[in-house]
Amino acid sequence: MNFKEIAKRGETGPLTEANDFLMKRVSANVLKLEKKYQISWDGKTLINLDDEMADRCWQAARELLLASGIFSMNSKRIIELSAEEIDEALRFAPAELPMGQGKDAVRAYHRQVEDPRRPFVFSGPFNADASEEHFVKLNEAFAQERLIDSLLFPGYLKKLDGQMIRPTSALASRAAMLYGQWSREAVRRAGRPGMPITGHAVMALNEIACTNEQWGLRSTDPRAMVLISELQVDDVTMTRLAYYLAYGCPIYMAFTPLIGGYGGGPAGTAIVAVASFIAAVVLGGEIVHIGPQHIKFKQQTNMHSLFLAGLANQAVARNSSIIATTSHTTSGRPGSEQYAREFSALALTAVTSGSNVTGPRPAEPLGFNNVSPLMARLFAEVSQAASGLKRSQAAEIVARLYDTYKDKLDLEQAPKGQAFEELYDLQTLRPTAEHQALYEKLKEELGNLGVPLA
Amino acid sequence: MAAEPNKQAIFTAMREAIENYDSDASTEAAQQAVDSGIDLLEAVEEGFAGPIRKLGEAFDRMEIFLPQLMLGSDAMKAGMAVLEEAITAGGGKILSKGTVVIGTVEGDIHDIGKTVVAALLQANGYTVHDLGVEVPASRFIEAAESRNVQIIAMSALLSTTMLYQRDVVELLGNKGLREKYFALVGGAPVTQAWAEEIGADGYARGPYEAVQLLDGKKEAWAE
Repeated sequence: MNFKEIAKRGETGPLTEANDFLMKRVSANVLKLEKKYQISWDGKTLINLDDEMADRCWQAARELLLASGIFSMNSKRIIELSAEEIDEALRFAPAELPMGQGKDAVRAYHRQVEDPRRPFVFSGPFNADASEEHFVKLNEAFAQERLIDSLLFPGYLKKLDGQMIRPTSALASRAAMLYGQWSREAVRRAGRPGMPITGHAVMALNEIACTNEQWGLRSTDPRAMVLISELQVDDVTMTRLAYYLAYGCPIYMAFTPLIGGYGGGPAGTAIVAVASFIAAVVLGGEIVHIGPQHIKFKQQTNMHSLFLAGLANQAVARNSSIIATTSHTTSGRPGSEQYAREFSALALTAVTSGSNVTGPRPAEPLGFNNVSPLMARLFAEVSQAASGLKRSQAAEIVARLYDTYKDKLDLEQAPKGQAFEELYDLQTLRPTAEHQALYEKLKEELGNLGVPLA
Repeated sequence: MAAEPNKQAIFTAMREAIENYDSDASTEAAQQAVDSGIDLLEAVEEGFAGPIRKLGEAFDRMEIFLPQLMLGSDAMKAGMAVLEEAITAGGGKILSKGTVVIGTVEGDIHDIGKTVVAALLQANGYTVHDLGVEVPASRFIEAAESRNVQIIAMSALLSTTMLYQRDVVELLGNKGLREKYFALVGGAPVTQAWAEEIGADGYARGPYEAVQLLDGKKEAWAE
């Protein structure tokens, strides 16, 4: 099914209210499918080791999408799908995807559960608020980290000239253009002019203004779309998608299932998550990003989210060729030890479950530039090391890591961390001695816990 | 004396309707309460308010999830409509902890966070008018002015849309209504510092914090 047909169904499908779609088509079916396919969480498992349950989760998710369809929020119409259409979309989902240009071109790829190949690493400011003053330097510092394959979401330009930016305003178009220019400038300065930039400038239609082959984001740069929870799309996303598909960009499609929301607990939400993976591919997504949200913790390293990330990724890895990547958001913030322990626990879970990695980022950055390229290096190193582990080995390390932060998940109480300009020397773009020492200490600690770091 | 067992049976039916998320049973039990002539304010507390609070507590412990909380709230609403009509006709009044208009601000289509807050406030004894998503500043104010509202609650999920929360607060000021309402802000990018910067009265990190915050302030608008 091509995009034209999807767009048409968004205008002609059955008309309903959002609440009815979510309660009757999503929630009610999840409850039935959880029982039918015996998808459950035992209250303690951090990494799922049950392959049969992963396969049942896949079947349940396919059935959910068939029963629910995808809700077009603005037209209030349901994009209904047949089993044949779903299977066709999955059959044509690319298992490898080129991006970037010249010597900096790279390929993202589908990974298997316990795949020994290193994961593809999307990392950068990850849409944390970035100041105009430090935007280029902090992105350059990320781009100079060689283990990062694609610069990720170079940061929200929340203010220009001290003025906050309204998404549909002329200022937002200007911000989108500067986002494109400055991101490109950053990768050039880092000596990687063709490095792919996975981008999403502002949450509005004028975001496409960042596109320019000379100075901005190119057709070889993945462009990010976000499905709305659960299984919903809006006009802005669909319009951007129409443009970027026609322009030829790799499509990076994200979704954020809510644990405790319409899917229920971690098991039910895992079904919704896998259905969202499939929906993303049907819509045209070529790299699919899972970023589970949690109704209480609002971050992704709690035990519910760890379990969900493992189960959903395994279901996808074992039953499709989808290129999956997992978002890593933490309670602890850059500059703290907790930050690294949390992203390591999730990276070990996601990578051994067949995912690539996206992140890390604090779930609640404090102020502007609350990011650390050095911690992104550690994240990439841990992710690479995880590809040498079995799930059972990873599970033991994750349990130890989880014990260190499980009582510190509250975002208000979690370590505040520091801003990029406090963690780095802005002249040399090198970490401060203190931040470097933190990195060395954490690396040693993770090695002692059994992470096979080089 | 004969009314006592009947009263307990009606309270049980009301409670079970909430626990079973059954709007029809809730309406039926509420009608029985009206027909039997029992104290309807006691029926509100024993039959509906107590059970819905328990549902809120179970949600807090993640023993139940959003669909159950919403269905329980819907069941209570259905029964409460019957009781409220009878109480008002008799010259009485149901006490609410406060009346809230809630919505996601202009340009923002994210619904779930706001819906959770609305459901949990309702479960905790607030009267809630949910305006939906992409709500312009003027509509928040029109809705508040046309109902007996004390609290305007604004959700924003995006860094770029949170500045519309500022517009609501600013417009309230421009209309000379700023002191009339408690302006509550929340959403992923929103912080206490932002609430202070725009002159909002309160910031809630999440649904539980919203209930706690308003419970702590409710004397300010108690009738």
